[in-house]
Amino acid sequence: MTPNRDFYTGLIATAFFAFVLFVLIPIYVKVPSFIPGFAPPPDMWPRVITVVGLVMGILAILFAIPKMRAAANDRVMSIGATMHRNRKLIVRFAGVLLGFATFTYAMPEIGFVPATILLLAYLFLMTGNYSRKIWMIGLTIVFPILLYLVFTEVTHTPFPEGHLFSALAADFVTLI
Amino acid sequence: MWNELLYAFEAVATLPNFIAMAAGIWGGVIIGAIPGMTGTMAVTLALPFTFYLPPVTSILLLVALYKGSTYGGSISAILIKTPGTASAACTVLDGYPLAQQGKGGKALNMALVSSCIGDFISNISLFFLAMPLAMFALRVGPPEYFMLMAFSLTIVASISGRSLVLGIISACLGLLLATVGEDIYGSFRFAVTEDMKSGLGVVPVLIGLFALPELIKMIVFRPEDNNAAMKLGDNRLTMAEFRGSVKSILRGSVIGVILGAIPGIGPSTAAFFSYSEARRTSKNGDKFGEGELEGVAASESANNGCCGATMIPLLALGVPGDVITGVMLGAFMIHGLTPGPLLFQNNIGEVYSLFIGILFSSVFLFVAGKLTAGAFAKISRIPQTLLLPCILVLCVFGIYSIGASPFDVSVLLVMGIVGFVMMILNIPAAPFLIAFILGPMFEDNMRRSLAISRGDLGVFFHSWISWAFFALTVLFIALTIRREWQKWREKSRNTAQSA
Repeated sequence: MTPNRDFYTGLIATAFFAFVLFVLIPIYVKVPSFIPGFAPPPDMWPRVITVVGLVMGILAILFAIPKMRAAANDRVMSIGATMHRNRKLIVRFAGVLLGFATFTYAMPEIGFVPATILLLAYLFLMTGNYSRKIWMIGLTIVFPILLYLVFTEVTHTPFPEGHLFSALAADFVTLI
Repeated sequence: MWNELLYAFEAVATLPNFIAMAAGIWGGVIIGAIPGMTGTMAVTLALPFTFYLPPVTSILLLVALYKGSTYGGSISAILIKTPGTASAACTVLDGYPLAQQGKGGKALNMALVSSCIGDFISNISLFFLAMPLAMFALRVGPPEYFMLMAFSLTIVASISGRSLVLGIISACLGLLLATVGEDIYGSFRFAVTEDMKSGLGVVPVLIGLFALPELIKMIVFRPEDNNAAMKLGDNRLTMAEFRGSVKSILRGSVIGVILGAIPGIGPSTAAFFSYSEARRTSKNGDKFGEGELEGVAASESANNGCCGATMIPLLALGVPGDVITGVMLGAFMIHGLTPGPLLFQNNIGEVYSLFIGILFSSVFLFVAGKLTAGAFAKISRIPQTLLLPCILVLCVFGIYSIGASPFDVSVLLVMGIVGFVMMILNIPAAPFLIAFILGPMFEDNMRRSLAISRGDLGVFFHSWISWAFFALTVLFIALTIRREWQKWREKSRNTAQSA
């Protein structure tokens, strides 16, 4: 597995640095028309870094090829076969991504505390170990509320209440 | 100087500072004792809280966490054969066999005593070495600083992972991420969204990269909880046993100080080096690995011996030697203090307070360990399935409380995913973090050097200091390549023989 992994790491690094160098820097690093003195332009440093990163990515690929060749006698798996074999792990990882994305989207909508309660419940479910159900349920409810109280009292942080609940509360007040 | 030290003593000897140190030591020991939780996590998790504390109290809290977690790692290493931190891996070798023989308490006591002695010697060395080094560093200009940072990054990149190439890739990712936002001349770089114009916060990046990947790893791979701890058993450490290990403790402490002061090496290497030296020179060398107290002493004195010493390059040069001091550099900057030679000119009061406070923390470590060793043994059994999700929620609250910014929370979560992907791809995270923190200074020194020299690259080779760092960088790269080549040849030879 390791020679394969080194190869893919090199490939991903090369692709990433090439993308930054040829696509992101020309678009997102603006060079001003006037630079005081003899100071280097703002895109110089990112370009230096990405070129070094690109060269290292290519070196990682080149170093991995002989290792893969040596390992070929035993077993080298294609990326498709590797993904198929690890499909459960990939699904779980996608689940984590989905959970984080939903939390980020839901936080301003339903409020900080309800969103963290849901996130904690989701993470407990994702651990796959339900031998301590009571603890999990208790912590899911108590822990975020406790943290909310501590942070609002100690640091006076204004946590988002959520558009949804604010709107519902406003409607309720209007109704009354 | 003595007057200033006296003022510093008065400034440190306050109840809030003592509470911070005690909380740091106990918190660090608890976190260090839990397998999978590291000292880096302890320090990064505390970072958001330091926003609300005075600078010296904040740094003392972080230093106490570092020391506590380094000692705490030995508890799970001895009692459940799982080092709480990487630097305690060596303690397993003799600590666990001792626990199996019913001498777990004895091993814990030896770990505590040798940790405290190593820690104390390390603090004294910080006291005497940091200032002369800082005075020397005053002669260093932007080109020399640029070379020094290149040298530090090369060392960190080559030591933290199994490959120099992957280490440099990691450092490049960190440097690139540090360029997001406004540069020194007011140009915006990679400001894809409005929030990104002010750059990425150090704290969400740090916490995301070091605290979250463990949770994602647990969810994806779902390892089994198997943390049945040994009983403490015989608890007393006799004077004869202590005397038998004194040489190893002192040698380990000195090794810890020397290796800790060199950026990038850190406590794990120091512990293994000290252990092997103790094994080589001890009359009981053949019993090492079967439950020898001297082995525990050698390993623990060295890893705690690094704690104060890693602060030497940080305070004197502004260069963090490892991830934890990298986080501390972030904490210094949050409070408007810039580590480096000027810190000793502009904030000498804070520096002395820090020195005095760090000495106090050694005493706190001893008292905390003595009072609560038995209770700590139970901590190592807290199941990760309950702990890690709660830590994520704590991180989310902590990060949001810093700037009331949902963007920071998003950065935290995204960096957690990036950290996990890096873990899967075997890309070490330490060079990324140190490069991210050093990035702005690295670039600033490069651009200032080029501006001074009107674009002449020769400015980087005008002084002997630059040449010295350049030569060290080249030497280090050459040695790393040689090491990797030898490893590769040995592996090829073994493969050919087995075929």
